[in-house]
Amino acid sequence: MSYNRHYRGGRRHYRDDEDDRRRDIVESPQERLKLAIIKLGEVDPYQEIAAVETHIRGLAPPDIYNLSESFHIGVTEQPYKIPFYAALLRLLHNNPPTDGESIIADGNSLGKQILEEFWKGFQAYVDKLMWRETRFCIHFFAHLVSAQIISPESFAALLQSFITVLDEFGVSHGRAKRAALCAAEGLMIAGAVLSSSKPTFPNEVVTSIQTYTETTNSGKWIVQPVVRLHSPNVEVENADELLDTAINALKALESAGFEGPYPRPYSGYPPLDISSFTPFSLPSVLVPPEVIELEGLSTEAEESEIKRQEWPEYFLRLFGDDVTPDPNTPAGYAVRNDLLAMIDVFEVNRKEAARLLLEYPKWVVSGTFKPRPGAPPPDEPLVNYNWQLESTLLETILGASLILPQSTQVQIYYDGLITEVCKISPSTVGPAVGKSIRKLYSSLTDGLDVEIERRFSEWFAIHMSNFNFQWVWKEWIPDLDLAIQHPKRAFMRTAVEYEIRLSYYDRIVKSLPEAMHTPEAHILPKQTPGPDFMYDDPSKPHHDAAQSILNLFRGRAKAEDVISHLDSLRNTLESDITESENVDSLVRIITTQSLLHIGSRSFSHLLNAIERYLPLLRTIASGGMTASAGAGTAEAKADILSAAALFWKYNPQMVAIVFDKLMQYQIVDPTDVVSWTFLHVSEVDESEADLKAPLNLSAFEWNLLKAALDKAIGRVNSARRKLAMLRKEDDDNRARAKARGGNMDVDGETKPDEPIPENVALASALKAFSSLTREQKTALSRTLEGFVSCLAPSPTSLHPNPKAREILTEHSWHNRANWGKEEWNAWETWGWYRHFCRAYSPYLRNYATTLMAVSFARFEGQSDPAAILLQKMWDVSIGQE
Amino acid sequence: MAHVVQPLDQPSNYKDSQTRIDRKRQNEMLANSTTLYIGNLSFFTTEEQIYELFSKCANAADGGGIKRIIMGLDRNTRTPCGFCFVEYYTHAEALASMRYVSGTKLDERIIRCDLDLGYREGRQFGRGKSGGQVRDEHRQDYDPGRGGWGAQAQRLEVERRRAVEERYADAQDGPGAVASGGEDWKEIETTQGRLKRGRSPEDEGDSDRMGRRTKIEEVEIDRM
Repeated sequence: MSYNRHYRGGRRHYRDDEDDRRRDIVESPQERLKLAIIKLGEVDPYQEIAAVETHIRGLAPPDIYNLSESFHIGVTEQPYKIPFYAALLRLLHNNPPTDGESIIADGNSLGKQILEEFWKGFQAYVDKLMWRETRFCIHFFAHLVSAQIISPESFAALLQSFITVLDEFGVSHGRAKRAALCAAEGLMIAGAVLSSSKPTFPNEVVTSIQTYTETTNSGKWIVQPVVRLHSPNVEVENADELLDTAINALKALESAGFEGPYPRPYSGYPPLDISSFTPFSLPSVLVPPEVIELEGLSTEAEESEIKRQEWPEYFLRLFGDDVTPDPNTPAGYAVRNDLLAMIDVFEVNRKEAARLLLEYPKWVVSGTFKPRPGAPPPDEPLVNYNWQLESTLLETILGASLILPQSTQVQIYYDGLITEVCKISPSTVGPAVGKSIRKLYSSLTDGLDVEIERRFSEWFAIHMSNFNFQWVWKEWIPDLDLAIQHPKRAFMRTAVEYEIRLSYYDRIVKSLPEAMHTPEAHILPKQTPGPDFMYDDPSKPHHDAAQSILNLFRGRAKAEDVISHLDSLRNTLESDITESENVDSLVRIITTQSLLHIGSRSFSHLLNAIERYLPLLRTIASGGMTASAGAGTAEAKADILSAAALFWKYNPQMVAIVFDKLMQYQIVDPTDVVSWTFLHVSEVDESEADLKAPLNLSAFEWNLLKAALDKAIGRVNSARRKLAMLRKEDDDNRARAKARGGNMDVDGETKPDEPIPENVALASALKAFSSLTREQKTALSRTLEGFVSCLAPSPTSLHPNPKAREILTEHSWHNRANWGKEEWNAWETWGWYRHFCRAYSPYLRNYATTLMAVSFARFEGQSDPAAILLQKMWDVSIGQE
Repeated sequence: MAHVVQPLDQPSNYKDSQTRIDRKRQNEMLANSTTLYIGNLSFFTTEEQIYELFSKCANAADGGGIKRIIMGLDRNTRTPCGFCFVEYYTHAEALASMRYVSGTKLDERIIRCDLDLGYREGRQFGRGKSGGQVRDEHRQDYDPGRGGWGAQAQRLEVERRRAVEERYADAQDGPGAVASGGEDWKEIETTQGRLKRGRSPEDEGDSDRMGRRTKIEEVEIDRM
């Protein structure tokens, strides 16, 4: 493989050396035993169970705590091995064969002791609401129920306590989902035994979960992976919602008598003698309430951390049921569930995750996956699904990474994981990657969500960057005939742009077919992504003015001297401009552009330029009045942003970087960036003006908005942490002072509490927190206003998009093959509004009343379809529908 | 989940030969580090390419982001010599890069990340005899991305080289040569109308106690 030739070619890296050393730690016999249990089945799961049993019995006296911990690690970190751990624990319930005979279970066997200890650990997971661990332990218990070790009645009671959670008043979706999955999956595995002991139980579980999911319909509507602006219904063809798949799999299992798809290595063991063996009865548990949900009741509610809002989870299907498992079937659900668990558990090491995922078939019943090319087919396959492993992995990883509004792990983890899977087996995984890309690409025509499209283009670029930018672009040449803003063309444009950012222009041009090089193709940026200094050309107006400022910068003049130069420059310029031009604005633009020109060589040069001339920037941001920060005027700050956007108009990445640092250095506020994006972005590039006006949002504008909103939110979060720290410090100090006061109280006189000096740091942190919270609210409010004026423009709006309302009908959607630029523009803008609502919903909820009053009041009593849809998306997101 | 697999976000046992900080303190610093050392870069890779890749691990909504990038330069020629430092605002972002980015390709080379004690003056320069990195002194192979072994780099890269060679000709050393990237948000006095001396990074937060505290910490670190 070429990808690591250079890497391995040189001298060995110390990193490798250290890894070797770590593995050589001397282990005690107990540690070795623990490791043997954890490594159970790495070669042949079925054969190794007995060997590990012997190893356990051979180490006397048994260390029950160590054994239980080993089982815990095995079960919670390697969920695909759970059936085999159950089998091992089942064997440990036998009495050791004394005279080579009489293998009978005993009430106080080693296995029983381990299980009792194991239970305590489970109880701790539940108490701490460690849902993942809890769920895997339930899988383990379910197998133990099937192996007759645990009493079915007590297990049913355990599942019941999770079902109870679904009936809690105002239960959050995240909590309900996790509880429902615990109950559903426990039932899937142990259903046969449970239904024979309590025939009505399966149906009760299904009904409870179904009753819950029926309340999630509006949530499904806002996160379904395809956008249907005309329809209030949930219409998803190529994706499945997680809880729905669980219900469907359960129903299928129920009607098949719970003939489950799980390996059951214990099933061949001789049955336990019920006369002498009492199954373990699981004590009852109570699922405690969420800590955060309680915190909401505390007095400092507004200072508590904002919890991520959870929504129904749709996983995209990319392949047919004959290629990859259908998660609505019991076997399909089980495979999907295992793979998702592995992706989450091994997030700490994507390389190992990739290896383990590719080894997954050995943990399922034979015939589940197609044998590897060259490998002999299994002798007697138990099932004949013959799914394709690589396609299944791709579908599952991409499915998890494209969950809306937010994936569980960060995007780049999934991207990196796919890269690693490819690196291990390029010849088999490569084709699955290609097919996945084609499938996602083709669904762009059918309303694939804009945020999914954005993540898709990011993954595409990252993936290509790891595999020599080899993609068969020429198969997409026919799509160049589509409307310029058609999602497919927008995708090609962004994908190429992101590739260029990771590489460089000439390299990417080389990877594209000729037909995509032309300006009409609109795939490549119009020119290499360099700076565009407006006053560079001596024939341009104001060239001399710009040169005079540049000379000061180059001579490292002091900021004050530049500021006084600007004063005289203003007078000179005043005489040669037309009446419609604003001289202050012109000075700001020339100065900002000149400063960016000085800093245009690299990101570091930019930082140096800004840092050296902070007082200058602050002066012009304030409209020339003052060099103190935070005093900027909206108009002046908009000019600075415009100058920057113009300077980097051929390099959208740099626009985002400059904006970010202007916010970081507090030249502009997040709200300024939001306002600018809605009001001025269309003015940047005149030649692109026909693409931009009437105003619409594409991925570029959305990224600017998102960066500004996240900056505002991040500042509040940092301030909150600081405040919490200072509060604790302050409380401690007060407690100490009080304690001291108590000691002095010896003569029986009750002295008043010693006055504690006012905590200056705390007071200023409180002030900062409240002003940042205000800024956050303004940024969100401005965003909402911006969207509303784009999508339901009033007749007097500056750039009304005539199509914003037209495309909302079903007829229009079915006619989308004839949509032009403006229709797709409007459609994409709607998509970003929908994403804005659901992605920022936890914050929007906090300010719902004010924001609604500001943005929706003018629609009162109207029957504008755009207003109705805006309001509906909003209501669903803030949980008011 | 460290029982079954080794997490990728552990620092290596690299030791900065020029640091005078004791090992224990170094480990503490690494446990909170927001800075990464990035190695095996092509000499032609730009800060913007690095920014693009590492911004995937940035978490602005948690108060994070890319603070600055310090390109490693050849001591003599002031041209990139194949390493850099990426500094985030939060430790979690540095860990995420270790997990998800280290060992993937940038500019068609597998790059390596390591948690770092943090940039100090002078560390942007190569420490090899000839001005570049030590590793390139001993290298036996032909590596076009790192100057080859002759001057026969590929045609495209010659073009890129020209830009690269000029880019840092103005690189300075000494205090203040490297920008800070902007500090955390802080309350600002809004004294309208008064043209006071501009604030510079050195006198930030001089009005409140918290600010003084940060400053003392900085001095301590500088001393070490």
